Amino acid sequence: MMLRRWSVTLLAALVALVTIAPLLWMLSVSFMARGEAAQFPPPLWPASPTLENYHLLFGTFGVGRFLLNSILISTLATALALLFTIPAGYAFAKLRFQGRDAIFRMLVAALVVPGQIGMLPLFLELKAMGLVNSYAGALVPWLAGIFGIFLVRQYCLSIPDEMLEAARIDGASEGQILRRIVLPILTPIIVTLALFVFLGSWNDFMWPLIILADQDLYTLPVALAANSRQNVQDYEIMMAGAVVTTLPVLILFLALQRYYLSGLLTGSVKG
Amino acid sequence: MAGLSIRDARKSFGDTEVLKGVSIDVADGEFAVIVGPSGCGKSTLLRSVAGLEELTAGSIHIGERDVTALQPSERGIAMVFQSYALYPHLTVRENMAFGLKIAKAGKAAIDAAVQRAAGILNIETLLERKPAALSGGQRQRVAIGRAIVRQPQIFLFDEPLSNLDADLRVRMRYEFANLHRQLGTTTLYVTHDQVEAMTLADRIIVLRDGRIEQVGTPRELYEHPANIFVAQFLGTPRMNIMAAVVADGGQATLADGRRIALPPLATPLTPGTALSVGIRPEDVAIGEAPDALPFTVTFIERLGGLATVHLTARDGDEPIACQLRDDGSLDEGDGVPVSLPADRLHLFGADGLAIAKKTRE
Repeated sequence: MMLRRWSVTLLAALVALVTIAPLLWMLSVSFMARGEAAQFPPPLWPASPTLENYHLLFGTFGVGRFLLNSILISTLATALALLFTIPAGYAFAKLRFQGRDAIFRMLVAALVVPGQIGMLPLFLELKAMGLVNSYAGALVPWLAGIFGIFLVRQYCLSIPDEMLEAARIDGASEGQILRRIVLPILTPIIVTLALFVFLGSWNDFMWPLIILADQDLYTLPVALAANSRQNVQDYEIMMAGAVVTTLPVLILFLALQRYYLSGLLTGSVKG
Repeated sequence: MAGLSIRDARKSFGDTEVLKGVSIDVADGEFAVIVGPSGCGKSTLLRSVAGLEELTAGSIHIGERDVTALQPSERGIAMVFQSYALYPHLTVRENMAFGLKIAKAGKAAIDAAVQRAAGILNIETLLERKPAALSGGQRQRVAIGRAIVRQPQIFLFDEPLSNLDADLRVRMRYEFANLHRQLGTTTLYVTHDQVEAMTLADRIIVLRDGRIEQVGTPRELYEHPANIFVAQFLGTPRMNIMAAVVADGGQATLADGRRIALPPLATPLTPGTALSVGIRPEDVAIGEAPDALPFTVTFIERLGGLATVHLTARDGDEPIACQLRDDGSLDEGDGVPVSLPADRLHLFGADGLAIAKKTRE
């Protein structure tokens, strides 16, 4: 029994180590002097830790601007996505209206179409609307993700109708029911969804690359990729850039972990 | 406070007609219980009164007001749901205050109303807790408290006790009766449990397949059921029903060929008429008597103080149940003399409707 528990712990620790090792190495390399990481075998720790790469990154390459772009776009994308997907998911689950289930089935069916297929038509559409090369253009795909609507709907289905009816008898309007009863109950799933959207838009590379032409509007991944073409050998700067890209979402993720996990577990644990 | 009047209520879901013309009057301050098997439309009827379902036809009046087209919150009703339907993220106090807050009542008024309701239900100490930290009975009380706070003209209860364990159900039944005595609010209570109906109701409304079978006090319904359905629905164990044919001399022939005496009837039946003879288990008497018939004990359910004895005259016959104080003297397989007292018999025609007995002068 004891042996089994220990072997499980050991195995878990091993998997965790394999997962985290590249991240740690990324952090370590970002503090190395230029060229140090290119040696063979590559060193694990910087011989003399330096912030030079970060100076270069924020000074010469102006990463601060891209960081702000990323934060702005991801924050707006998250806010807008929540604004549209939560009421939509709730409506699909709990409100009665003509064609509700047919529309929902169509949306779910659309999930199987890969996002890349929609990129060209979407681009042409946005071009016609004059949104190419703007923040607004970069935000459009995140406005109302079907997956988000689906997630919120499934979770809303677990809210008993009687609770909403009780609120109706209490005199609450549909808007008040959504705000004062449904939203608080949905908190775990909202946090989960917000994280998904924030991570997705933060890490998104393809769409910003297509829609943003102006260097000043680049998000971090796009800017780093553009940068890497010039500095493809400079592991240290690339890793510093990777740290800047990863750190904010990692912190966000860890901070919200509690809600996030409870969001993923609901339905399976809750009766 | 006000009475409730439902006129010819009809409700269809698609092609299925759930309510087929139901008319009910509940007097001011009355405790009326709608009882019926599942799927009889009782919950739909209650939800229609609450305004959660729209009637296909018919009208609902509360007091003098026609509320048929009004929103639930405008009807002056409060409802307690089977699942309690408490708001899980709010404390007990906030749960009870929710309606008044929506109505933008003043803080002092809200506090007073919540305090009063909490006092009535003895839940003052629970006010700051969340529903998850309450037991089933406590949640039930909070749900009732939320209803009391609304100071409704009519209380609506939708099977409020069916989620509780047997012990608690008995206690809450007692508390419901007490509460009604205390508040005197007109109450419409839906249940499938005939014991709840019998113990709580001023008046019982028996519903089946969207139609009213009978309305009356628990006593009336038990003593004078209008038809076989009501007769068997109320009372446990349920009433024994035996097929018989009217014979001459005020007697009837049972399926096994034996004769029993019938009670005097309002209008005599012609011999040869088929009818059903009903008798409650507690009216079946075991023991020597002039008109006793021999039966065999096939099965005994011992409940401690009481026992239900199942008796048959022939193998393969539907047994009749007899309830008596259990003195341990009977055993399965025993032959016993059984009498079916004529004055305790209920007679039903082939259509299932009760045949009127001669009323004593």
